[in-house]
Amino acid sequence: MGTPQEPRLAVEISGINLRNPLLVSSGTFGNGREYSEWLDLGMVGGIITKAVTLLPCNGNPPPRLWEVPCGLLNSIGLENKGVEAFLAEDLAWLNRFDVPVWVNVAGFSDEEYVAVAGMISDSGMADAIELNISCPNVKQGGLHYSSSPREAARLTAMVQKAVNLPLYVKLSARTADIKEMAVEVQKAGADGLSLINTFPAMAIDVETGRARLANVSGGLSGPALHPIAVLAVWEVAQVVDIPIIGMGGVWSWKDAAELMMAGADAVAVGTLNFVDPEAAFRIAEDLGSFAARKGFESVSELVGLTRRGGIV
Amino acid sequence: MNLGSKFSAPIIEKSVYGCLTRVVFGVDQAYLAEPGQFLHVLCGSEDGRILRRPYSLFDTASGTASILVKEAGPGSAWLARREVGEEIDCMGPLGRPFSFSIFDRPALIAGGAGIAPLIFLYKNMCSEGMEPSLFWGIERSGDYGDMPESILAEFQVRIASEDGRVGFKGTALELFTSQQPEDFSAIYACGPRGMLIELTEIMIGDRRARLQLSFEERMACGVGACKGCVVPASDPAGSYLTVCKDGPVFEGKELDWARLKSRVWQ
Ligand SMILES: Cc1cc2nc3c(=O)[nH]c(=O)nc-3n(C[C@H](O)[C@H](O)[C@H](O)COP(=O)(O)O)c2cc1C
Ligand code: FES
Repeated sequence: MGTPQEPRLAVEISGINLRNPLLVSSGTFGNGREYSEWLDLGMVGGIITKAVTLLPCNGNPPPRLWEVPCGLLNSIGLENKGVEAFLAEDLAWLNRFDVPVWVNVAGFSDEEYVAVAGMISDSGMADAIELNISCPNVKQGGLHYSSSPREAARLTAMVQKAVNLPLYVKLSARTADIKEMAVEVQKAGADGLSLINTFPAMAIDVETGRARLANVSGGLSGPALHPIAVLAVWEVAQVVDIPIIGMGGVWSWKDAAELMMAGADAVAVGTLNFVDPEAAFRIAEDLGSFAARKGFESVSELVGLTRRGGIV
Repeated sequence: MNLGSKFSAPIIEKSVYGCLTRVVFGVDQAYLAEPGQFLHVLCGSEDGRILRRPYSLFDTASGTASILVKEAGPGSAWLARREVGEEIDCMGPLGRPFSFSIFDRPALIAGGAGIAPLIFLYKNMCSEGMEPSLFWGIERSGDYGDMPESILAEFQVRIASEDGRVGFKGTALELFTSQQPEDFSAIYACGPRGMLIELTEIMIGDRRARLQLSFEERMACGVGACKGCVVPASDPAGSYLTVCKDGPVFEGKELDWARLKSRVWQ
C-alpha cells in the first residue's frame, strides 16, 4: 500500500511501504472519518487509529482539555465504541483508502490487550498494531505497564503470540530508564517502537484552587513535548535495531527532520492535526524540499544522521 | 447543512461594544452558514497558545461572515486586537445548527455573549415570515457598549439587566418566565451553562422536547475527532456527545441534566 508521492519521500518500515514518512498519531485524527472531508486520506504516510478497547468505553468526565503555553493537556480516557464496532464501522471503512493503518490497542488487563490485538490481526484489515501501554489517563492498562520493563516485556510477548502483524509498542518518556524499557520490549518480540506518548501533567485554576481537568491530571502534548521526544528517540535509537516512529510536538518539517536525525525512521503528527488537518502532508512536502536542498536521494538518509556526525 | 472548509479571510470591519468586539470577515460570495454553527479561528497570543478557538456565527450576508469576540483569555484578546485588513485563518462553518419550523411560536433566550447565534437565528426566522420573541439578559447596562440600544432599535427584543438600568430588572430567565412561557411552542437558548440548566428546570417533562440549547465547551479539533469537548448524553450507558460535531445545538432531551449539573466548575 502507499504509492509514493515523490520517490525521495518513500520509506519502508517493517515491510510496509509509506508514500512519505509522515503519519498521523493515535487519538489526534479520530479514525480518519472526521478528517476525510478535509483532505484525501491517501495523502498521509500512514494513519494510527484512536485507541480501541475490548468493550465500549465512555472515557473520563469533562472538562477533558486544557491548553497551556506551547501545549495541550488532555484526559480523554480512551473513549471509544469497542473493538467490534470499530472493526465493522471504522476499520472496514478506512480500508477503502490507499493508506497503511496502524491500530492503537489499549486494555484494562493482559487478557483484554491480547483479545483485541488478536481480533485486529485476524480481521486482515490492519497493516500493523501499536500497543498503547503508556496512556496517562487510565489507572490500569496505562502507565502500569510502561513503568516496569518486566511488565511491558511480558505483555509484549503475550500479544506477539496472538498476532500476525508487525507489533509496535508505544512508550512514555515518564519511566526510570527508557533505554532499558526499549531493550526489554525488543527482546520480547516487538517489531517497532512508537516514541513518545503524552507526558503526565496538571494545571490548577488559581481563582478556585481546583484542577483544570475533571480527571485532575492529563497528558501533555504539543511543542512543549518536542525536545523530550527528541531525547527519547536519540537514546532509544542507540540501543535497539527495530524501527522507531518518532512523535511529540511536531509543528513543522524541522521538528520532523530533528526526530529523524535523532534516529526515527518515520514521524507522526499529533496535536497539530487539530490546527491544520493537512499538516502531515504539508510537512512531508517540506521535508522533501529540505532533503532535495541537502542533496539527499532519500529522506531515509536523515535517519540517525546526528549520531553519524551530522551533514558533512 | 454546509460542510466547512479551511480558508484565510481578511477582516473587513471591526466594531467594539464594551467587552465584545464584532469582527467581520470577507468571505466567498457563495459562503453559506446556518445559525448555531461556528467558525474555528486560529488565534495567536503573546504566550504561545496553539489551538483554534470556536466562535458562534453572528451573521452572514453576501460576501461576509461575522463573529462576536469576548475577551476571555490570551487567544480572544489577540483576536480582538487584530486590525482591518489582517488575514485570519478559519475553519468552518462547523457543527449542528438550530432547526426550526415556520409553524412554531419561538422564544429566543440569550445570556450575555450568547446573543450572537440568536440574533442570526432571529433574522432567519423573520425572513421566513415568523414572529420570534427575543429575550436578552445582560449583567450591567454598560457591559456591551451601545449594542443593547442599537439592537433595540433594529429588532423586537426585550432586554433584562441585572442592575435594572436598561429594560427589565433581573435575568433573561426571569424576564422570560414573566411573559407566559406557555405560549411558546419552541425555545432556543444560548448563554452561561447555569442559565441553560435553570431553563431545563423550568421546562420539565415533555416541555424539554421543545428546547434547543447551544453549548460552549473547550475545543481542540472542532470536528469530532479528539473527543475533548464532550457533554453527558441522556442514554443510560453514561456516554458523551461532542459539542463541536453532535452540537453545539442540542435538544433538551438529548442530554443528561443531572450529570451536567454535577460539573461544578467551568
Ligand atoms: C487528544 C489526544 C488524544 C490522544 N489519544 C491517544 C490514544 O488514544 N492512544 C495513544 O497511544 N496516544 C494518544 N495520544 C497521544 C498522541 O498519539 C501522541 O503520542 C502525543 O500527543 C504526542 O504528540 P503531539 O505532541 O504531536 O501531539 C493522544 C493525544 C491527544 C492530544
Ligand atoms: S473539539 Fe475535538 S471532538 Fe470536539
